[in-house]
Amino acid sequence: MSRAEVGLIGGLYHRIVVWLLFLILLLPLAGTLLYSLSTSWSATILPDGLTFKWYLELWSDSRFLAAFGQSLIVCFGALALSVVLILPLLFVVHYYFPKLDSLMNILILLPFAIPPVVSSVGLLQVYGSGPLAMVGTPWILIGCYFTIALPFMYRAITNNLQAINLPDLMDAAHLLGASTWKAALFVVLPNLRKGLMVSLFLSFSFLFGEFVFANILVGTRYETLQVYLNNMRNSSGHFSSALVISYFFFVLLFTWAANHLNKDKS
Amino acid sequence: MSFLSIQGLHKSYGDTPIFSDINCTIEQGEFITLLGPSGCGKSTLLRCIAGLTSVNSGQILLDGHDLVPVAPQKRGIGMVFQSYALFPNMTVAENVGFGLRMQKIAKDESRQRVNEALTMVELQDFAERLPQQLSGGQCQRVALARSLVTRPRLLLLDEPLSALDARIRKHLREQIREIQQELNLTTIFVTHDQEEALVMSDRIFLMNAGKIVQSGDAETLYTAPVDNFAAGFIGNYNLIDAEVASQMLGQPIKRGVAIRPEAITIGTDGPIAATIRSHSLLGNVIRYRVDVSGVELLVDVLNRDANDLHSKGKPVTLSIDNSAILEVG
Repeated sequence: MSRAEVGLIGGLYHRIVVWLLFLILLLPLAGTLLYSLSTSWSATILPDGLTFKWYLELWSDSRFLAAFGQSLIVCFGALALSVVLILPLLFVVHYYFPKLDSLMNILILLPFAIPPVVSSVGLLQVYGSGPLAMVGTPWILIGCYFTIALPFMYRAITNNLQAINLPDLMDAAHLLGASTWKAALFVVLPNLRKGLMVSLFLSFSFLFGEFVFANILVGTRYETLQVYLNNMRNSSGHFSSALVISYFFFVLLFTWAANHLNKDKS
Repeated sequence: MSFLSIQGLHKSYGDTPIFSDINCTIEQGEFITLLGPSGCGKSTLLRCIAGLTSVNSGQILLDGHDLVPVAPQKRGIGMVFQSYALFPNMTVAENVGFGLRMQKIAKDESRQRVNEALTMVELQDFAERLPQQLSGGQCQRVALARSLVTRPRLLLLDEPLSALDARIRKHLREQIREIQQELNLTTIFVTHDQEEALVMSDRIFLMNAGKIVQSGDAETLYTAPVDNFAAGFIGNYNLIDAEVASQMLGQPIKRGVAIRPEAITIGTDGPIAATIRSHSLLGNVIRYRVDVSGVELLVDVLNRDANDLHSKGKPVTLSIDNSAILEVG
């Protein structure tokens, strides 16, 4: 067998594996999509008929719209807090105290190291009563989601900062007459755009689908999308499927828009 | 009074001294090179002059005013870095114009000065490119234009040629020297490359372990090294201790000696018997390694004719002009 033939067969094999994997991942989603579009689908191989009524019902449900909006508010609130706190933190760590980076790398692992159920019990204890009683309000979710976004943002922007050689750029800007503020604003910040955008969209997709913290810390008092989905589990399966597909479609649209906006202009 | 005068400058990190008691004076329009091995403190000294690193004590007087308490933004110093340090989000023209923008220079004047600076480094056609679209040599020329456009009183070059390939390095060092002479700009250049230092400088400050061990023009440094380190660092001197030198040269010698490789002649009737160990071709020069009673010497001979080449193991004799034997150490 010639090398070309071996290559052809190898290529075919790889292609089949990729397509199979793709199918396995896509199949549940395709099934859910079909179910959300079917009038009823129980005893037959294919649905009895197709309809948009579940989507119309979902998107005219005020409770769903409120949950959707509340999810957006909590996510954007947490991300805004992250940007305001993490960008200056990163600048200070990498420019003034580079040795702190190793400590930060340990700290940012904590949100992953402690299981959400454990940390939510802790948060319930601390913020359940007393002067900082926030349980049941969106504020506790914003604060909690900030800690989840921290590792994504810290790592992505750190990589970005290391790639631009921050100390030399700051030195060059200083010698050209820029104050530290101006250097950070005109030279450093524009170069962090890519890392910042990537980490924001990644964090958003993750936070938008977060359930454990939202359910334990806030529950129905400030219903988010995932909590709403959980509460609707006993309603029609077609309705729930329409909800899941709507959620996926939104995240997909958001990610596409993010990629599009983030295209390298050069 | 000198244009730049450094007096008793000292810098240490904790208990580790980087340099101490640095004293030197530089005249207006001089091209000075700080030459020395890695870790000798030359780059730190340059950063201290720029204000990017603080000093522990001492004075840096530029035109009579002490720079030590002045912020780097206000020192009027331009600097070119080894890593280019171009701003990746800005075009070439925006990079060069950044200093003028910070000085709030009017747009028309700024545009004109950016054009002039880019023309000086022959990059006027690259104004709208981004740094990542340029080669290393072009990046460094942009960095040079960027540091010149603000008309600094002093230009600092921190190993600007180290990251470039040999041909571009040679071209760029000539260009830097031409521009420096045209603008009569006082310049301090840091390098560990002795050839660069010898070719470019009006004066060289040779540094070792945080001290200036010798200063002077290229010829002085090359022909009259003050100690073993200077002899070893510049010109590939043969360093021989007193006892071996006495035996080899047949005369009493009290201190170690340094002999330039080109000051030794290979022949057949010289006073010192030797054997060729190996040879390597350095373009117009052939460098022999010869054995004299177990001591290896370097001998440089002009590469005139292939027939003159001495083969490995061939017995030869060496003669050394007495005036080329420098007692050092």
